[in-house]
Amino acid sequence: MNIIEIKDLSFSYRKNTPVLKNINLNIKKGEWVSILGHNGSGKSTLSKLIMGLLKANEGEIIVDGIPLTEETLYEVRSKIGIVFQNPDNQFVGVTVEDDIAFGMENLEIDREEMVRRIDLYSKKVSMNEYLKKPPHQLSGGQKQRVAIAGILAMDTDIIIFDEATSMLDPKGRDSIMEQIRELKEDGATIISITHDMKEAVYSDTIVVLKEGEILASGDAMDILNNKEVLNASNLELLLPLKLLHKLDEANINNEEMRDILWQLSLNK
Amino acid sequence: MAIKFEQVSYSYKAMDGSVFSALKDISFDIESKGEFITLVGETGSGKSTLVQHMNALIQPQTGSITIYGIKIDKTTKKNKKIKLNPLRQKVGLVFQFPEYQLFEETVEKDIMFGPKNFGVSEADAKERAKTVIKMVGLDESYLKRSPFNLSGGEKKRVSIAGILAMEPDILVLDEPTSGLDPKGRDNLLKLFKEIHKEVDNSVVIITHDMNTVYKYAKRVLVMNSGELVYDGSPERLFFEGDLDKWNLDLPEIIEITNKLQEKLNIKFDEKPKNVDQLFELVKGALR
Repeated sequence: MNIIEIKDLSFSYRKNTPVLKNINLNIKKGEWVSILGHNGSGKSTLSKLIMGLLKANEGEIIVDGIPLTEETLYEVRSKIGIVFQNPDNQFVGVTVEDDIAFGMENLEIDREEMVRRIDLYSKKVSMNEYLKKPPHQLSGGQKQRVAIAGILAMDTDIIIFDEATSMLDPKGRDSIMEQIRELKEDGATIISITHDMKEAVYSDTIVVLKEGEILASGDAMDILNNKEVLNASNLELLLPLKLLHKLDEANINNEEMRDILWQLSLNK
Repeated sequence: MAIKFEQVSYSYKAMDGSVFSALKDISFDIESKGEFITLVGETGSGKSTLVQHMNALIQPQTGSITIYGIKIDKTTKKNKKIKLNPLRQKVGLVFQFPEYQLFEETVEKDIMFGPKNFGVSEADAKERAKTVIKMVGLDESYLKRSPFNLSGGEKKRVSIAGILAMEPDILVLDEPTSGLDPKGRDNLLKLFKEIHKEVDNSVVIITHDMNTVYKYAKRVLVMNSGELVYDGSPERLFFEGDLDKWNLDLPEIIEITNKLQEKLNIKFDEKPKNVDQLFELVKGALR
């Protein structure tokens, strides 16, 4: 079942300079989709359109069977959570606890249920010991985990990570990746906007944007290995695959080597 | 010696009254020419606090820093005789996300702002704008454009041009490539390297990317919990340093080479620095 359907979607901020052109994309329930592309390729604009933060010039977005319109905006938004790039830009509360509660307050969830969910989801992201702390004292990775807890508490089916790890150090990044893997196992639909191939490795599907258009989309393994597509969008092959391509070009075929390089690419 | 840190410590007071020690007893030197340094360490390890000391934007609470012969310590703020402005021209600091700090109507005015602030005439500042816009890989037509209609990568370049226009001896950049795609990141780093060669300045770059460190740096400084725990070559850091303790990754090329050797149960004679060198070694091993 498709949880998101995007049909013939186009968008421009200014006349004659389209940011997205004729995008067609289906995302299945429970799928992990990575959206890759160069800076300015339209990745983040696409996520803002899905969230209804921007209004499309043409085309249609259907979320969980509901066409996104001004009337359905809040209903659609209640199904989608988004974690942004800069962890410092998404804090409103005085304490971690307030922050996790913020989204639920908008949904008018009653007090008792809120307390239950704060407890549940702060434990899920291993931030339960920080509930009374001011968010600004946390590390970047911890802040992003609190943001995730806030979104989980709103019980959304779809979570968008908009370059959510790009400002974190390696430890912070790994902890967020671990969290996303768990969410996926619990059945969430994940849309990850990134240009880090090491993150894209974990997704089911990869969509590559170039100058506002879908350059390629398909099974993650196929796209990861497609040098032409990646290079065309300022991206790079993972290092083991780069090596594999060099071996292929030199006509050196060794099955064991091929297996090993694929395992290394997939962090196995 | 351009900058000399001597037993510098600095701590912040948080809103709840607790004290956070950002720098602990830091001593090291930076030369005014020929250095290409990367500064690494996990978030909160003190990297940004350290570089903000390099042009006296923050002053040490204990210890001292000598910047181009001027000694900065905790008494500096009250001493009206010490002029800090010239130091900020000598040591140009580019903050993280400098593109948020563009504010003028045109790129040209934005670039001219810094030099004019340091007493450079209107005409000279204009000339400098023409020179530096090319140095950052953009053509002169950009000068008349509004900074707000540029892409993220272009904005970054313009804000770096603004610092270069002050003709600093030492260029300090706080995570200049964060948020850029791989090609944009490489282009920007190559640019810093070219400028470094061209004007023979010293460059200090804060980064989380160990590939950048291994590929570009001559010298690495590692911060861990406010302490300077390593000062030396990238090679020695990655082959002998306590990376786990300092929460640092290995560069991808070293990590993959190690894993390959393990899986193939062999040992290469050399340590490859890039994928081409690794390819040659693998080719040899498969023969």
